[in-house]
Amino acid sequence: MRRNVAIIGCGQTKHSSKRRDVNLAEMVSEAVYNALEDAQVSPRDVDAFVVGNMQGFGGIAQPEQWLGDSIGAPGKSVIRIATGGTTGGSVGQGAYYTVASGLHDVAVAVAWEKHSDSKEAGATTGLLHVGLGNFFHAASYGLSLKNLVATSAVGAAAGVAVYQAMFYMYRSGCSIEHFDMVAAKARRNAAKNKYAHLQWPGCTQEDIAKTEMVVYPFRYGHICPASDGASAIVVAEENLARKKARQPAWFKGLAAYSDEENQLQSENFGGVGVLDPSEQKGCWMSATKAYEMAGIKDPKKEIDIAEVYQPFPSQELIFAERLGLFDEGTAWMALEKGETDIDGRMPLDPSGGVNATNAIGSTALQRILECALQIMGKAEEHQVPRKVHNAVAHGWGGVTSYITVTVLGDSPGR
Amino acid sequence: MGYVKEERPMTIGVEGTWNIGSYHYKGSRLIEEYVKGLKQKKLIGSFCPGCGKVIVPPRNLCGRCHRIMDRRKIVSNMGTITCFIVSPPIEKGKLKVLGMDPVETGLIKEGEVVIPVFVKFDGSDSNTDTILLNADPKAVHIGMRVKVLWVKEPQGALSDFEGVEPV
Repeated sequence: MRRNVAIIGCGQTKHSSKRRDVNLAEMVSEAVYNALEDAQVSPRDVDAFVVGNMQGFGGIAQPEQWLGDSIGAPGKSVIRIATGGTTGGSVGQGAYYTVASGLHDVAVAVAWEKHSDSKEAGATTGLLHVGLGNFFHAASYGLSLKNLVATSAVGAAAGVAVYQAMFYMYRSGCSIEHFDMVAAKARRNAAKNKYAHLQWPGCTQEDIAKTEMVVYPFRYGHICPASDGASAIVVAEENLARKKARQPAWFKGLAAYSDEENQLQSENFGGVGVLDPSEQKGCWMSATKAYEMAGIKDPKKEIDIAEVYQPFPSQELIFAERLGLFDEGTAWMALEKGETDIDGRMPLDPSGGVNATNAIGSTALQRILECALQIMGKAEEHQVPRKVHNAVAHGWGGVTSYITVTVLGDSPGR
Repeated sequence: MGYVKEERPMTIGVEGTWNIGSYHYKGSRLIEEYVKGLKQKKLIGSFCPGCGKVIVPPRNLCGRCHRIMDRRKIVSNMGTITCFIVSPPIEKGKLKVLGMDPVETGLIKEGEVVIPVFVKFDGSDSNTDTILLNADPKAVHIGMRVKVLWVKEPQGALSDFEGVEPV
């Protein structure tokens, strides 16, 4: 029988493109100690750490071996989880399992990225290994360099998401102007979040529309930054949670499903059977399972805010629909009406989201953390102006089709 | 026990490189069947006995039914664009791929607009990612009919398939 589990403390670092004032271990421990302080828990009370960042990023294969001492992990249980872009989501869920199983009473989940330690854009050492075997195999059978340059590199940072965006535009009827609106909203919201990276008070759709076209339909202003930063949550069993937190953020439901690789090549240069990469069946499956566990029957009515993993603005719209918050192909209409603003009917990414702050390993944990802040009433300037009973946090990654969904609430729900 | 940070305003940056080594990646023979087909200007896919999908290039397992796809099917050289993106005119010094400038190496012409596309070839149930050639970027649209543009003398290599062009 699983135990009720809640988040009782949250900690982040300030995010920026270069945190030159700290090394990796110092940056991660900054988030951990901020979370412990918020939870009013002593480091001695922590039984277990679940940690993670992107594989190989920052030029370090086993960062947990270095930073363990700094976060107070010696003599305690430590698990590192790495699932690509969803790493933070998996780390947060890992901390839940650790406590819900009864194995430990208090666990800290911490995730991070320190992009600026890499001299290459996007810290590509970690990303390349996903496709290297396939690439060398294809290269040995005369892969066309022109084709490679065009299909892989023209998209650059926008790579896989730009195709998703085109599919979504075609089937939903939304336009590039809606992506401008989402990106402007992300920067405006981020300006209210003291930890966020790309802050732009009063940013408008027109401001984003003026930025250079990277590859149609993505402009420079649509693309997330590469951030240095870390985030941490303290997760505790029910008795301690009730004692320590005035309003704990309870884990009500969670799931992590994958679909088949849906965009590039399957193993050995084989094709893929998913015709629409914006279909994201893994997200729909994860949301269905997480809502079922949380006892949520109508997410449109029962979810109060969502933190959607949206490095690109199109993804806020695609995934909000897959999370059941809007009908198929209608999220952009809700955006037009202001329903997804901080003070709207269904606020999406009130923190500014990944589009404004992207320390990759940390970003999906930040979605959980931000939902917790909203439930606990601690989101300060970006707190939504009504009581949040249920919030949903989403992560996207793996081979473009792996999803984490976590539902938090103001009561355990059972 | 608590937060520990060395007392200094800034870290010291130390240069270092990480050679991630050499490996023996294991490939499948299926790609050989595919390139043999290309030499004859034929596109070969694999057929799933579970869901009936035909996937190009061929693969061993169906991603959703997990059935072995041991039958082959030849699909048409004609297909439909299911997705496209459009680059701005590529200029020298703006793009680096695998450490090289594609304009400097002659892979892309100065000012060329590159149009990566997904194509669903008739008789297949998958997208093939390739490039659209000999087309007006303003005319490209989802649903546009295209055909394979082969090199003059196919050699049995992936590069035999240059891209697609409008029908």
